[in-house]
Amino acid sequence: MKKIVTPFEQVSKNTRLLIVLGWLAAVLGTWFVSSMGERHLFPSPKQVFQGLAELYNEGLVVHIGSSLLLCFSAIIIAIIISLVFSYLSTVPLFKPIAKTLSRLRYLPLTGITFYLAILISDARAMQVWVLVVFMSTYLTTSLLSMVNSIPQEEFDHARSLGCNRWEVLWEVVIKGRIDYVIDVIRQNLAIVWMMLVTVESILVAAGGLGFLIKNSDKFMNHGRIIALQIVILAVGLCIDFVLDYLRKAFFRYSKI
Amino acid sequence: MNYNKENTLLYVENLSVAYGDKTIIKDINFVEKDVIRDGQVTGQVIAIVGRSGTGKSTLFRALTGLVKPSSGKVLIADTKTGEGNDAKEVHEGDIGFVDQKYTLFRNKTVYQALMFALRKKEMSDEAKDKQIMTYLKDWGLEQAKDQYPCELSGGQRQRTAIIEQIFCSGHYMVLDEPFSGLDVGNIEDVKNAFKLITSSHEFNTIIYSTHDIDLAVELADSIYVIGYPEVEGKRMPYGSIVKHIDMKELDLAWKDFGLGHLEVVKQIKQVMLQS
Repeated sequence: MKKIVTPFEQVSKNTRLLIVLGWLAAVLGTWFVSSMGERHLFPSPKQVFQGLAELYNEGLVVHIGSSLLLCFSAIIIAIIISLVFSYLSTVPLFKPIAKTLSRLRYLPLTGITFYLAILISDARAMQVWVLVVFMSTYLTTSLLSMVNSIPQEEFDHARSLGCNRWEVLWEVVIKGRIDYVIDVIRQNLAIVWMMLVTVESILVAAGGLGFLIKNSDKFMNHGRIIALQIVILAVGLCIDFVLDYLRKAFFRYSKI
Repeated sequence: MNYNKENTLLYVENLSVAYGDKTIIKDINFVEKDVIRDGQVTGQVIAIVGRSGTGKSTLFRALTGLVKPSSGKVLIADTKTGEGNDAKEVHEGDIGFVDQKYTLFRNKTVYQALMFALRKKEMSDEAKDKQIMTYLKDWGLEQAKDQYPCELSGGQRQRTAIIEQIFCSGHYMVLDEPFSGLDVGNIEDVKNAFKLITSSHEFNTIIYSTHDIDLAVELADSIYVIGYPEVEGKRMPYGSIVKHIDMKELDLAWKDFGLGHLEVVKQIKQVMLQS
């Protein structure tokens, strides 16, 4: 018992499972207790299940699909833009552009939305491009950091094998770090997923989880809001798991 | 032991490397010639020893063309012309380089890495495959053929890195501290690797650095000590060659480690401590 409260102590697999189950029971217990009575801050588990059933009947799956489609469309464009600038950052001429793109992450989203609204009239395209602009800055930051952290020895090794500079870029940075790119996407996905819901709720286009939250919020349906939060968290965790699984499955050498 | 010196294989003249205002190495001069011994193929083994921070790694980067010298030049024998003493300036890729960490492509298996090293050779794929498999067998790497660097032991990584460079570069190979962090078994492996390389071609030349002076004296036929030189009574802040020991002239090269070798070890240690 003393072990589980001692820093850096190793515990068995069963003990780890018991700790997790204990915490889960504590969370559920707190939820049940805090949602009892006439007035309460959180909706009761029953209200949440009711909200989930209502959402399902109203086409929750279609909305999840819409959100995922928006997420993937944006992430594909954003990753292409970020990769091009990050790889080109190894060329002195393009380095300032990549660094500037990375620093644009400090720009407020509202300002970006304003200018995009002038350029784009379609709401769905607007959602995609708001996300693309926002994500590209974060992805470029992470990818630049990935490129900069490649040890000099790896470049020297490729050069000593007669690779010209473009071959070094291809072999060491592009081919040699594909698994890192997947991990960068995975790490940035949490921000993207959070932004996606916000973007969907601000710019109403083709439904989506953000749209559902906004609607539920309007009618103060707390059960639905919490049910949606749980769904969003679960879908986000699933995407994270799938990306991590793909990285490990396709890149045996990847030990990130 | 009888030997002759013939063609110049490595010619380093007034080599200096500076990063910005800081001079790392300066006025490095040395010449290494092809050593011929009757009845056997004898490659050259050159050891560079010196205390940490004296510029050994920088010298190696300059020798392999990975860093451009601030002044001076490095010439190697141009063996492709067939003429005896033709020389060419060194460029990256001319001299193989194995660093302290035995760096390999992290995304290539041993076989893929060796195939990549052979990519510029004018050979059929079958011939390349045959060559790779022969080397893997000779160097005890058959079982590791399909493994990635992260799945290899230190010794396996090192052997792979050496074969890669043998396949890709010509007759020269630079190894930066090839014995650091290896256990006795791996050290024997590297010694055997040296023998394999030097016995396979007259021009094959190994240049390596080590902090183990005993190993330098045991394996090398030419030893250079790098330290901070003294000019007009003042210690300089850059590295340069402060002593050269020709083990061939001392009749200690290619012999088992003995009392003579111990005397050289003592001398080298003294020079290192003084510079």
